[in-house]
Amino acid sequence: MTADQKTFQRPRVPGRGPLVTVLISTYNRPAYLAEALDSIFRQTWPNFEIILTRDGGLPVRDVVSQFNDSRLTFIDRDQNRGLPYSFNEALSRAKGDYVCYLGDDDKFFPHHIETLLRAISQNPDYGVVYGDLYKAHCRVLPDGRRRVLAKNVEISRDFDRMLMFQFNHALHVSLMHRRDLLDRAGRYNESLNVLIDWDLTRRLCFFTDFLHVPIVTGEYYAPVGDCDRISVQRRKNVNDYIRNLLTIRTTRPPKPWPCVEDSAIVVLASRLDGALEQMLRDIWSHSFYPYRLFVPLTAQERQRFQSCVPNLVPVEVRPEDSLPVRLNKMLQQVDAEWTVFLPAGIPIPPEEAMYIERSLYPLLCGRQTHLACQIVESDNSHFGAAIYTDTLRKAIARHPALDPQQALRAAEIPIRKPEFKEYPFQFDNLLSGAEMCQLDGQWTRAARVYDYMAEHHGNAIWMRTRQANALLQAGYYAHAARTIAEVNRIRPTVASLMIQARAEKKNNRPQIAAGLYRQAAGILDGQSTGYLPAAADILIPKTQSNTASVQPVETCVWT
Amino acid sequence: MDLTRQTAVPDHGWTQHYDIVQEMGDCYATVGDYVQAQDCYERAAMLAPDEAGPYLGTGVIALQQGKLADAEIAFRVALRLDARCSKALAGLAMIAQQQKNWQTAFDLYLKSLELDGDNLTALLGLFQVSCQMGSFARVIEYLNTYLNLHPADTAVMFCLATLYLKERQPDRARRILKDILALEPNNTDAKNLLEEAENRIPIPA
Repeated sequence: MTADQKTFQRPRVPGRGPLVTVLISTYNRPAYLAEALDSIFRQTWPNFEIILTRDGGLPVRDVVSQFNDSRLTFIDRDQNRGLPYSFNEALSRAKGDYVCYLGDDDKFFPHHIETLLRAISQNPDYGVVYGDLYKAHCRVLPDGRRRVLAKNVEISRDFDRMLMFQFNHALHVSLMHRRDLLDRAGRYNESLNVLIDWDLTRRLCFFTDFLHVPIVTGEYYAPVGDCDRISVQRRKNVNDYIRNLLTIRTTRPPKPWPCVEDSAIVVLASRLDGALEQMLRDIWSHSFYPYRLFVPLTAQERQRFQSCVPNLVPVEVRPEDSLPVRLNKMLQQVDAEWTVFLPAGIPIPPEEAMYIERSLYPLLCGRQTHLACQIVESDNSHFGAAIYTDTLRKAIARHPALDPQQALRAAEIPIRKPEFKEYPFQFDNLLSGAEMCQLDGQWTRAARVYDYMAEHHGNAIWMRTRQANALLQAGYYAHAARTIAEVNRIRPTVASLMIQARAEKKNNRPQIAAGLYRQAAGILDGQSTGYLPAAADILIPKTQSNTASVQPVETCVWT
Repeated sequence: MDLTRQTAVPDHGWTQHYDIVQEMGDCYATVGDYVQAQDCYERAAMLAPDEAGPYLGTGVIALQQGKLADAEIAFRVALRLDARCSKALAGLAMIAQQQKNWQTAFDLYLKSLELDGDNLTALLGLFQVSCQMGSFARVIEYLNTYLNLHPADTAVMFCLATLYLKERQPDRARRILKDILALEPNNTDAKNLLEEAENRIPIPA
């Protein structure tokens, strides 16, 4: 037993150790609420409080009365005001050191709170910890019972801040965070009606790193056919969904941000016209890194300018101001570490989802303050680049009459375009490559890529599972069985047990295969969670790197 | 870039529970634990009532236990659920073969192979039945088709060599038997048959 394990002890009674607040909001799903609540009361960590909110809908008092426990607070409200409001209402009553969440039809496994709490206790620099969840595909029977058809860990992704700005990879039910973080990050945004969980996790990541513990600690249900989840129903309204998405992407919590360096996008325009307005909208929809957008406008232009683009800072200029003068005026207002300057008219490809990030990311990763990383689409006639703000300021100050490109050259600042291998999401590029190999039937090659990724890009359990599956498909049954056995020794899931069973069956070991199938069926039947307490010691990291570094893709992977 | 898709781990789809129970049943059937196998097939049928697999499995274990009537019912249910179930047709053919209904068995094996030329059970069954009936032309065609897909399957190569000998084509038989011995130098059956073939005189075409 390590020193860390000795210091973390489960109290026998409530009132000892950190208090964890579990929030549940329920609306019209009384049938499953009892199971959800029961899964909390079965936690191995006893020091928790539950704040249950009925957000209108069917009454649930009968369900609640089954749980005669002082740890349960019930807010019984007739009016349906939405999940963000309900969570905020509950948070105002929360007393826990930590907060976690449960859907009214989801379940925690008994070790959920203890696993996450133990991980965060052993890694006190982290303010947020998250585990993995099973997505349980089920068929709802006429009597309301759910027959489970499959349980898959759909997301098991190590924390990557850049990715969090683009996509939520920490599911809400798998999340636990320090309550005091909300004082800085803010509470739930009540103007949103979908993706409210991502909005919160995205804001939290400005203030803390997230710790990923790849242990399955619960499950959420996905009925086959038309899903009744409110969030799923609301996503059907595409325009509204996009509005929510873009609002979240451009939300900036109050500074200071200990974990994120701010950026400013400075638009070099000589006049306001339709093309410029379209460009502003395109920047909004083609970038996701936090920024403020600075636009030079004359007093007259400002009067007629009505933009719906958030984070836009109009900077007053005179009609006769040259572009260098306009740039200088805008830079005086920039308070971000990094600046991206874009000339009006620079092309923004419609399919490009990380327009500024491709040039900004290499600078952020290497903290390269003496380099201008050119926008990929820019050229000498439309020159745009990302650069450390102070470096740009100094160059402009020394050469005030020159345009930015000339000023940078005169100040001997190196200028170059980013290489593909420096773009964000190299992990995802490799993953796409491996998936393409699979689609082409090149399973051996796919297995080699997954092996490389497991060695160099984290997400080891996930990548080893994929590697084993690829080896199985390629016909390397013994290698597949060995690889997946290692995974199952520390984190058996339904899918990984199934891969091992199939490999063992191919190895003419049907008895062993039958045992593995039985284990997988036990998880599907709810008789087991697959959790191995000893494995938690391996999977709870003592430290975790959260800054996605630029990883060059070694060509040997593809040969 | 579709990040949503990329964050998903291999998904065994909605049939995962069914697949597990069904494949577990197959494993138990392989090791002769028919009670456990039957239990798995019953659960699989409950999970996916429209799938032929559980009835096919039930038929196989009934056949292995000599319960021909039960096996026939199970295979027929499987066929009703999936009219293109090659394995169910092969199962019915095996029942007919055991009942010495050679012509019925022959026809069912042929149907089975038409649906799945890769069905080894049907192929070997067809070989056995044709040996009983003395009618080899169709079988040779199927064996050759199969060997195009599985060129190193020595068991099927041996069947084909046997049929060529019966069809008085010892040259072809010899060529195949030599191929078998190149792959498996210690294959006694092939050695013996080759010796027999060496003593045959080819009939001019």
